[in-house]
Amino acid sequence: MKRTSILLAAALLGLSAAPAHADLKVATALSDLADVAQAVGGTHVKAVSLCQGYEDPHFVPAKPSLMRAIRDADVFISTGLELDGGWLPLVLPGSRNPKIQPGTPGFVDASEGVTVLEKPKGTVSRADGDIHPLGNPHYYLDPKALEVLADHLAEVFSGLDAANAADYAANAKAFDAKLDAGLARWQAALKPYAGAPVVVYHENFIYFAERFHLKIFGTVEDKPGIPPSPRHIAELAAQMKQAGVKVVLYQPYQDSSAAKGLADKAGATAIEAAFEVGGTDAAKDVTSKFDALVGDLTQTLSH
Amino acid sequence: MTRLCAGAGLWAALFLLILAPSPASASTNALMSNLANPSIGFNALMLAQVAPDLPGPDGLQFQEAEVSIVSVVDPLWTLWANLVFSETEVTPEEVYAISNALPDVTLKVGRFKAAFGKHGQLHRHAWPFIQSPFILVNTIGEEGFDGMGLEAAWMMPLPWYAELTLGAYRSQALAPGLASAPAEGQLMDLGSTSPENTPTLARLKNLWDLDDSNTLELGASGLQGLGADGRHRAAVGADLTLRWIPLRQSNQRGAILQGEYIQRLSYDDSGLSRECYGGYGSLQVRLDQDWWSGIRAEEATNATTDVLAQVNSGVTVMQPGRLQRASANLTWTPSEFSAIRLEGSIAKTDNDFGLPTMDRRLMLQTNFTIGYHPAHAY
Repeated sequence: MKRTSILLAAALLGLSAAPAHADLKVATALSDLADVAQAVGGTHVKAVSLCQGYEDPHFVPAKPSLMRAIRDADVFISTGLELDGGWLPLVLPGSRNPKIQPGTPGFVDASEGVTVLEKPKGTVSRADGDIHPLGNPHYYLDPKALEVLADHLAEVFSGLDAANAADYAANAKAFDAKLDAGLARWQAALKPYAGAPVVVYHENFIYFAERFHLKIFGTVEDKPGIPPSPRHIAELAAQMKQAGVKVVLYQPYQDSSAAKGLADKAGATAIEAAFEVGGTDAAKDVTSKFDALVGDLTQTLSH
Repeated sequence: MTRLCAGAGLWAALFLLILAPSPASASTNALMSNLANPSIGFNALMLAQVAPDLPGPDGLQFQEAEVSIVSVVDPLWTLWANLVFSETEVTPEEVYAISNALPDVTLKVGRFKAAFGKHGQLHRHAWPFIQSPFILVNTIGEEGFDGMGLEAAWMMPLPWYAELTLGAYRSQALAPGLASAPAEGQLMDLGSTSPENTPTLARLKNLWDLDDSNTLELGASGLQGLGADGRHRAAVGADLTLRWIPLRQSNQRGAILQGEYIQRLSYDDSGLSRECYGGYGSLQVRLDQDWWSGIRAEEATNATTDVLAQVNSGVTVMQPGRLQRASANLTWTPSEFSAIRLEGSIAKTDNDFGLPTMDRRLMLQTNFTIGYHPAHAY
């Protein structure tokens, strides 16, 4: 009883005495967004992601503890394009934090200003799988889209914390320059493989493929959100063999046995690659994420 | 009955009005935008059942269809509506506004499912088993306690997630969801029209993250009011949920271990009576991205169920007994929007009325959703 009381008192003391190290407390729906927010915010911002890099951003459990985690946030950054539509509609109102609700200055749709790919044309039907009706939301695999986000966040942070506006603008500029340097490096590394076909688990590679001129040959999933059937795997493996596809990419949260099984059948190599920061040990931030992904691809494609 | 039909007609007309295409939409685009239209979802539940111990309900049944409509009203409120269609009526199961702009507190006003327990807050299409537990049917109602009221839910400033909900509702006798009305004294009656009667509720919910993948939830609920006979009635409950969702496989694996206990009481100056009590324990296991399985054991004392219907002088009376049931199911969910569930259950009834002592059922349920599919609570 005495121990419980001490623990409770210590916890309450910790809450009330929490020092304001950062001028802005930022929470995000995706680890890449937190990394960009931290880069732009520098020492004035403390950014955390509700979804870990090794977690499928489509299927984040809407735990009440996530609501509690953002109850005091000053800014919330949503991935937008309904990628977080399966859980954010519960978590955001559940936080009871009026500063970060949609329509307030503290709510940011990170897809704003990004050139969205694969916007459905005509009638949207779930016969095509669990598609994203507003377009493909995995834009964070394009370094240029992250630069758009960095500039957007500099404006948002400046609006909420005008005293540090100059720092936010300078940080965003430095982030853009760092990514531009990386982009030149990654484009040079992948240039010899322009047009190379790759298979991915889910339709989340298009931004990377467009930026670096790779060809998406097919997906392990039958259709978005629909698990692969044996028939689909057999047909795709035969087509891959014929076309000489060397790579099957999958993420840490996807069914590795399906990806590896397909690669084995097709004589290709299955690569577990982080598409989100924190997905693997190598993907510590957005720059190292691209470094690791480009490194894995060039190594496999060169054989 | 006339009032009910008129109400149903009104809701049906409103529903048609909402869904009806605007014939002049092409020419009025510049004047009336549809960009702020609400999100609309539609769910349909159908059931095939073999139940040799019941007199009639074998075969195919249309269980219900539910239309869900939700939209932000303005910076202060969001409005939700869940209209339920059965074969004979339309019910505004929930129509409520919820606050968007209050710090630490959520206000809910309208008609809605009260925050009592765990199972009672679920919509039928989100139930983990086809049948509602006996103890719910015999206490707060098959589909939980829903009614007109006001609730405030406060996130307490504690190191874990702790939520205290307080509610007040219009007086009512709770609908148990049985084939016939239960005998007098077996109903959770909060229907006194006395000005002193305002049914009230309190619930405390706590959730701890044990680690990245495991959470422990503990809850306690209480509901009280005055019956039409002037006697105080109350239901109290406790629930425990252990959930395992490995973050690296959140769409492929998982398990939910849940238990809930509810007790119905009545009391007045002459003393307190423990009218009905019981609970359930269940385990759901996600086997794969598209397969779930579940088992449940339950017991309720001084409770009634469909096989305990006794006809006395032309009047059907639901007699009480001690009920035990075991259920098991297997669910195939090829996508987020459809599910087919096979479920078997065996119930044993211990009664003093010479009524059947077994209730065996084999059921196949289909669950389809189109349009907007709101996220389900954790």
